Amino acid sequence: MSAVIDGFAVVLEPTNLLYCLVGVVIGMLIGVLPGLGPAATIAILLPVTFGMEPVTAVIMLAGIFYGAQYGGTITSVLLRLPGEASSVVTVFDGYALARQGRAGAALGIAAIGSFVGGTLSIVALTFVAPIVAGFALDFGPPEYTLLALLGIMLVATISSGGRIRALAAAGVGLLLATVGRDDFTSAERFTLGNLSLADGIDFVPIAMGLFGLGEILYNLEERHRAVQPPAKVTGVWPSRADLRQSSGAIGRGSVIGFVLGILPGGGAVLSSLAAYALEKRRSKHPERFGQGAIEGVAAPETANNAATTSSFIPLLSLGIPANATMAVIFGALLIQGVTPGPQLVTEHPELFWGVVNSMYIGNVLLLIMSIPLLGVFVRILRVRATVLAPITVLITLVGAYTVNNSVFDIGLVIGFGVLGYLMKKAGFDPGPMVLAFVLGSLLETSLRRSLLLFDGDPTGFVTRPISGTLFAMFLAVVLLPLAGTLLRRRRPAPTAGGEVAAHPEADRPTDTAQTQTGSMEPGPTVNESAENRPADSQQMKSGLVAGKPVSQSPSSTGPADAQVGSMAERPGESPSRNPNSETKEPE
Amino acid sequence: MTTEPADDRPPAAGPSANLIAAAVVVLLGGAAIAGATDLGSGPGTWPMIVGVALVVLGLALAVQARRAEPPERFTRSSLLVVAAVASMIVYVAVIATIGFEIPTLLLAFVWLRFLGKETWRTSIAVSLGIVVVFYALFVGALDVTIPHLF
Amino acid sequence: MKITLPALGLAGLLLLTGCGGNLDSDGDSGSTAAYPERAVTLLVGQDAGGSTDLIGRALADPASKDLGQPITVQNKPGANGAVAAKELAAAKADGYTVMVFVGSLAYITPLAVPADQAVDINNYEVVTGISQDDFVLIANPQTGFKTVQDIVAAKRPIKFATTGVGTGSQLTQTLLFAQAGVDATAVPFNGGAPALTAVLGGQVDVAAVQLGEAKEQIEAGKAVPIVTFATQRPSYMPDTPTATEAGFQVPVQQSRAIVAPKGTPKEAVDRLRTAFQKGFADQAYKDFNTKRLLTANEVDGTALLQQWNGSLQTYRDLVAQHKIDLTAK
Repeated sequence: MSAVIDGFAVVLEPTNLLYCLVGVVIGMLIGVLPGLGPAATIAILLPVTFGMEPVTAVIMLAGIFYGAQYGGTITSVLLRLPGEASSVVTVFDGYALARQGRAGAALGIAAIGSFVGGTLSIVALTFVAPIVAGFALDFGPPEYTLLALLGIMLVATISSGGRIRALAAAGVGLLLATVGRDDFTSAERFTLGNLSLADGIDFVPIAMGLFGLGEILYNLEERHRAVQPPAKVTGVWPSRADLRQSSGAIGRGSVIGFVLGILPGGGAVLSSLAAYALEKRRSKHPERFGQGAIEGVAAPETANNAATTSSFIPLLSLGIPANATMAVIFGALLIQGVTPGPQLVTEHPELFWGVVNSMYIGNVLLLIMSIPLLGVFVRILRVRATVLAPITVLITLVGAYTVNNSVFDIGLVIGFGVLGYLMKKAGFDPGPMVLAFVLGSLLETSLRRSLLLFDGDPTGFVTRPISGTLFAMFLAVVLLPLAGTLLRRRRPAPTAGGEVAAHPEADRPTDTAQTQTGSMEPGPTVNESAENRPADSQQMKSGLVAGKPVSQSPSSTGPADAQVGSMAERPGESPSRNPNSETKEPE
Repeated sequence: MTTEPADDRPPAAGPSANLIAAAVVVLLGGAAIAGATDLGSGPGTWPMIVGVALVVLGLALAVQARRAEPPERFTRSSLLVVAAVASMIVYVAVIATIGFEIPTLLLAFVWLRFLGKETWRTSIAVSLGIVVVFYALFVGALDVTIPHLF
Repeated sequence: MKITLPALGLAGLLLLTGCGGNLDSDGDSGSTAAYPERAVTLLVGQDAGGSTDLIGRALADPASKDLGQPITVQNKPGANGAVAAKELAAAKADGYTVMVFVGSLAYITPLAVPADQAVDINNYEVVTGISQDDFVLIANPQTGFKTVQDIVAAKRPIKFATTGVGTGSQLTQTLLFAQAGVDATAVPFNGGAPALTAVLGGQVDVAAVQLGEAKEQIEAGKAVPIVTFATQRPSYMPDTPTATEAGFQVPVQQSRAIVAPKGTPKEAVDRLRTAFQKGFADQAYKDFNTKRLLTANEVDGTALLQQWNGSLQTYRDLVAQHKIDLTAK
């Protein structure tokens, strides 16, 4: 324990405090700029760290890493530009909140959630790092296969569009992920002979194009149809109600983030996705999600920050970098003459605890910095759309270039921007496509690796303890809602969809939701706060099937269009990825 | 959400537009299947699975095309989008040879003045400002190797 | 319209102060008299932060001091460096664009990809060799494997992790197990860290990774070194035999070199070589090499071409002899 306290002494040295601050400021800046990610920034700054003490260097570099996480949130919320895969989920409700003039609340809750998630994760890291490190090793290809599969099923359930549309978009995302040289045979797939595509498509052009640029193009057209007043900013701070509403989400997000963050590869993305899906499923009003639910920002932001912190565990206690940024920090440590590995804690306790404890300070600094900055950031939304649009477009184009220093990537952003625009016109949500793209190569490569390990025998997935458990969870996600649908179809209750259609004036989501839950869920509707309701099959049902987002006012623009579509399709739908489920006719 | 006027909803296209969207999904799936067949088993297996799934989903979309909310129609203001995309294509085509400064200035100006109907004064001032800030940020501070003239 | 005036002034000022741009159009090529008169771009075909990138950056710093001009590292990742190599081939041969070329691209990747995608090192001008990385075969302690003989004696099919298709990791193990007559299945991972994780977690039996990546795990007893694929025993691993000593012919290393486009003037190539040799002598760079467990291979262009072309021929023969298909599933 004294080593832990010594660690604090290390952090509180003025030099280290200063570099911690420098790190989080740089991190926030590059997080705000799309393109240049933390990994590249840290690599560029490496020569600067040559002259520093190892602890100081890592404290600064770690600051860049988690500072960037928070910076990415800002653009996701304000401009619909997710800079990192783990911020994609934040876009759904964060941007919706911003359009309602509640960007301050969204950013504030993200800052608080990030702080809590990060801090809880550090506490956990402090006490259990050596114990849980082995957890990362127990996750082999079969486990990742099921995790990715679960993730893709979750993608379809969290989307705000219709279920089939969401799955179709996810399918296209999976297809996009196959572009490039095959990892197993080095065969070129769908590259059209273009060498720039040999390593596949980068996440940044896809996310920036489909979300950010697609939105700008759509609004460009929209702008001339009706004068859209800039969203009135109502309060810069999250309200008391916001905090109360988010507290459960923040708590659960911390746990999910910590656990999944330990897994090398994809941990942060999966954690934000899982945290969001869990909140939507637990919610009494899941239809609010995608329309500006504050928990929809709190949960993923908490989770991805907690994951960012716990992704240090494999590096510091096993010597395995969990992601690209960790790999660069690994390189930085090597240059400093410290090789991260199983013996780091015993050989360099001051470094280990110095870095861990610097994260407490870094999170406090981020919170202190971001709260007063909220007002500044939110002011961006007061800029006229006609002025903001070209600025955003240019940042996107130049930002795309900086990822691989490639003009080709700028072309890709434009292409995906057009696709995003067309999808929006046709009522398809880009979210599933982007997330499926992110998980796609994880799913395919893990699946093929598993089959190599099992000598082609798929029963191997069930016989391993962890993958077996995950398989059971997967079945629960797919089959329970299906069973729910069948049960409900036997009951001659009027469908909620019909009711809503009959009352097109119903513009308060809560109203429709109550009608809906009332008519379809005789389950536990008493007293409960969202936090302590058991996640039983009723919950599953309400999240997956009954809980499809139902429209609010038909006058609203944007995502609501997709909503109406989903409402019309909703009654007969079941997750059609399951081979057992055929598409049924409604009524 | 409720403050917006009720009549700003974009005009809807006919149900046939949903069929077009479904057809695109089927075609993508078909292309994936064709490509996967060329690749053969191994590299082609996974794209084949995804392709088949897309075809099935596309057909499912087609079946419910009449019931689903129709897509929005393209209107005259859609031409603005075409113009915007054209301006970006020109941007990407020339940036490698003449650097990013002049294309950035022109793109910003076109968007501000012609797509955004800002005043001449604002358009010129803002587009110049963008170039200066971008230069300072990307070339000066971040030392990004984007093609630049100066 | 007043606003435009300051703009014109600004533009004029920038023109007067001279073009600092990075476009190829300015300056006439082959300006031998004053080379180098501006910054040199050092392409790196791998992601920022990877081994190759770190080596490039560690070297660019001291070399630019001698050159008197900055050396700007520019990452153009893709296809094990083929993207950057293609860009280098198209760049003006004036000595202002060079690249850190990885050996595997020249002598291993051609065995795994169709001929039209292979990069031929002879189409470039080699400035100087840099250094070599050695591979080590490691096993999970629970397998009980300590030598290649143990693996053979186990008489069971084994699974080995590689760091990818067309890498030294794949080639070394495939050759070793073919020669030892072991029924082994390759499981490709994406890079050294995941392959190492797979060994530590017991997902696979063995893996070949770069020495630096496995050093800590070996010292902590979490991974057992079986053989190295070096030409002689690395100094800090005196007890681990090389594959040659164990009776197998698997001389595979990762090697790196500074390479310029074909036709770069001899003066520029010589000047660059002098600068990089000054860089090699720099103490900080030497320390870097020691820490990363790299073996210096600071030979000139002719010698390097001989090494690499020789390796390609050797591997081609070995692969043909043992009927190995590196692209197989």
